[in-house]
Formats: sequence, structure tokens, C-alpha cells
Amino acid sequence: MKYFVLIIAVCCLVAGCAMSRPIPADQTLTAIEEEQTLWRRAQEEQDAINGSGVLYQDAEVENYLNQIAAKLQINSISPDISFQIKVIKDPNLNAFAFPNGVIYIHSGILARMDNEAQLAALLAHEMVHCTHRHSLRALRSVKDRRQVETATVRELAQLLGITGAMSSISSYTREFETEADRVGLDLAVKANYDPREVVKLFELLKQEIDSEKIEEPYFFGTHPNVRQRIENINNWLAEKYRGKTTGIKNTDEFQSRLSRLVLDNARLDLRQGRFFVAQRAVEKFLALKPDDARAYFLLGEIIRQRGRQDDAAAAIKYYEKSISLNPSFPEPHKAMGLIHYKDGEKRLAKKYFESCLLLSPDAADKAYIQGYLKLCVANGEG
Amino acid sequence: MKKIPAILISLFLIAGCASMAQERSLKNLPNNDFSVEIPKGWSKPKYTDKYLITKDGAFLQYVLIQQRPIDLPYSHTKKKLNKGMLPQEAADVIIDEIASDRRIYNFNVIENAPAIIDGHEGFKILFSYKDKKGSPFKTLYYGFISGDSFFNLRYNAAMRHYFEKDIADFERILSSFKVVKDKAALEIASER
Repeated sequence: MKYFVLIIAVCCLVAGCAMSRPIPADQTLTAIEEEQTLWRRAQEEQDAINGSGVLYQDAEVENYLNQIAAKLQINSISPDISFQIKVIKDPNLNAFAFPNGVIYIHSGILARMDNEAQLAALLAHEMVHCTHRHSLRALRSVKDRRQVETATVRELAQLLGITGAMSSISSYTREFETEADRVGLDLAVKANYDPREVVKLFELLKQEIDSEKIEEPYFFGTHPNVRQRIENINNWLAEKYRGKTTGIKNTDEFQSRLSRLVLDNARLDLRQGRFFVAQRAVEKFLALKPDDARAYFLLGEIIRQRGRQDDAAAAIKYYEKSISLNPSFPEPHKAMGLIHYKDGEKRLAKKYFESCLLLSPDAADKAYIQGYLKLCVANGEG
Repeated sequence: MKKIPAILISLFLIAGCASMAQERSLKNLPNNDFSVEIPKGWSKPKYTDKYLITKDGAFLQYVLIQQRPIDLPYSHTKKKLNKGMLPQEAADVIIDEIASDRRIYNFNVIENAPAIIDGHEGFKILFSYKDKKGSPFKTLYYGFISGDSFFNLRYNAAMRHYFEKDIADFERILSSFKVVKDKAALEIASER
């Protein structure tokens, strides 16, 4: 895994280590040396991420996320941090924050959410990691340990190969996560979001973790586990927000703004062979945009690649629907050709392969299609 | 495969030097159903059980030859190969697996086309990627399904200089590749 070395190193050092010199949360963000080092490393890490082709490029989605962050920040203890929210094309459930206010959210976690209140809960949680300087506090707690007392932060980082990613979620301890959950909930409520959606977000994601047998992702961290966090939030809701049973959800706007991302992420889920999750996401998209040819094609692909008995017949229906909605979209033609080709229906296969090449003469896989066509002709279907 | 930690690189280099002296041919590999001729100058480092050979160290270039059961799950996706797959479908499974590897950045498929390997219908994929440090690599990946096995040969090298330098050697390795216990071929022969 990408952060494997980092996680091991930080877990070894931070686990069970009480913070001996906490930084007051309300201390202003003066650029002390340690923090400058952290920020520099964070910037290096961000440069690597930004240049790696993993960013989801959609200015409208990014603007929307940043608008929500701005609403939440009004009530934060550090209104000066310049937050930037970016999306990573990754179907896994994760989000992480760098100390300089740059927050990355995986498309997978966004695609699972139902409304803006849930998004606000996630963003608020990540923002608290920045405003409450969890990276710096984690680093200091490491530095203060007796066995590494003589090492400077820089030496320590170099020794362990820890880069700016140390600031990411993987390095946070139980108390930082709990603080981020608690203060994040406060921020969401102060921005008038429905607090019940906070716990719904966790429950939603927990369900998927269980149903897909997913290893608990970074967003949940390892301490405390998601079950404990749900319990904590329920307790806070009961204690502090007992009468608060309403608030903004903005379901329609959220779903409309993120619908394309949901479909794009379903493609990533399909790529990873998570057929059920991908299918559910496409169906969610189609509930909003029932005339989208690409969504029907994707549904067909999910069914075809899943490869259960009778799936080919079911896939054909979706491909046909896709073609009927957009006859010039080449992909379902190719898929229909493949199904008929494998089924020995060379005449039908030839028809669809030909239409695919006609619609997309420079298809990346045209060598395969030309090969199928030759065999169709050789089999007397010319 | 792509990003090799510093310690491992050192091992590569040390083990690589040691094994140069006792270079061995990989022809008729034990426990595998294939044979292959290795050109002079390539050797198998001792540290790995895989059929991986290199000339200048695996970080610069290597050839990896694998025979894997088709029902063996992949590590980055939940997808599987199956006997009834067309080469293109198998290639798509492999592309999805590679694209889902988080150590791979800027993954780009340059070519995906049918190929014949030792008389078997298969595929070839040419792709480029960068590791986390931004070093660019290029891989030429051939694969085919035969019986219960998926055979694949891949040539991976640093994009600058090394990929072009040794591609001819890889082509020689590829053309020497033979499935020696070809169950699929035996089945066809018995049907006749």
C-alpha cells in the first residue's frame, strides 16, 4: 500500500504514546520551525499527488466542496487557514488532511454519501485535523519520547523515511480522531447542518465495510474503530444536541452536483471488480438521470463482467437501451459484438463490430475488433 | 514490482552481482510447464523465487515470466480470469489490475492488441507509468490462457535508455518461449 511504510513507522512511534506537550488548540498558526518543516514536506507530498494523474478534474465539484468547507470554517478556531479540497479518483473510502489545509477526498467516499450534511460532517472532521494541528502535535509527541529525544524532527523524519504524508490521517492517534469527530460535529451543527446525518454517514459506510468485507479504511483510522465512533457521536448528540432534530441536508443539490462523479466512480468500482457496489451506484445515478446512455452501457458492463449465469442476456438489454438512447456511442456496439461472438452468433457479432468501427475508427482496441471481423468472415458470415 | 525500496534495490544489486558468476539458463524450469532461452548477460537474482531475470539490476530492467493458476485472485482487484475469456477480456482484467495498483502513477496504455505466443492466442499490452518518485517506466506485457494456467511474460524497464536498449533481448526470450506440457494442445490432439 502507498502509505505502508509510513503507517508502520508512525504506528510504532505514536501508538500508546501520551501527548506530553500538547499545543493549545487556539494557538495561532505561527510558523514555528517544526511546522515549517511539516508544511514543506506536506507541499512535496501534495506536488507528488497532484502530478500523479490521480486527481479528479472537475472544477464544479471542487468549487462546491470548497464552498461547504468555507461555510464550516466560519465557526472554526482558525479562520486564517486557506483550505483547499481536492478529489482523488479512488473508489476506496478514504479522506486525509495535510497540516497546511489541503484536504484530499477519495471519489469513493463522496459517491457513497446521500446529502450535503454528510459531506459537511466529513469535511469538518478533516478540517479539525488542520485547525487543531494534529500533525504537529503527533510529531511533537514522537519527538518527546525518551528514546528519540535527541533527534531533531528533521533527523527523525529522515531516519524513518517519513515524508509530509506523516500529516495525513494515517498518523493520527485515537484522541486526535475523537477530537476531530467531536469538534467536527460542532462545526457541522454551527453551520446548521442536520446533526443526525453525521451518524448516518458513519453507519452508511460501516454497512459497506461489512457487506464488502473491506478492511477499515484510513478515514476510520484504527483508533477508535468505527463502531466506537458511532457510539461516541450518538452520545454527543444525546448530551449536547438533544433538541436538535432538524437542519440542512441539501439532498437534491448534493446529488445533482455529484451525479457525474458517482458514475465515474462506479467505473472505478467496476475496474476493481466490486460489481455490487458499482451496480448500486449506477442505479443511483440513473434515478437522477434516467436517459444516460453511458450509465446503461456501464450497467451492461457490470453485468457482463460479473459473469453469472444468464448475465449475458441481462447485459444485452442494457446495451440495447444504451444504443437506443445514443446510437452513435460506440462502446455498447462493441460489447454486443463480443457477447454474440462468444455465443457463436457470428453474423450478429459482425454487424455490431462493424458499427463499432464505423463509429470509432480509431478505437484503442481496433486490432482486436478487426481480428474478430476476420474470423467472422472466415466462418462464412462475410 | 515498480517501486522498489532502497534496501531491496541494494539486495538486487548485490545478489545480481553474485549471481552473474553462476549464471544459469532458465530452460525447462522445474515445477513449471514452460521453457525459455535466456540470452547471454541476463541472470536470475538469488533473492527471488520468481522467474525474474535482469541484466543491469531489476530497477533498470527485468523480464518476469509467470505461470499462474487462472482462478488465483489478484491483489489489487477482485477480478479473475477464466478459461472462456477472449484474449481481449483477459487483457482488460490485467489492465484493471495494474491500473488499481496504488504504487503505479500516470498509468497509460499505449497499445493493447492481440498477439500469438508460442502458437497460443493471447494479447500484448504496452504501457507506461511512473513510480512514486516520478521515475518513468515502460512495460511490454504478453499473456495468454492455456488450460488452467495464465502464462505471462513481461519486460519492464526504465523508460529512458534501458527500455529500447534491451527490448531485442526480450523479443528473443519471447520467441523462445514454449509451453512444454501444453494441456490445451494435448486436448486438441486427443480430440483428433
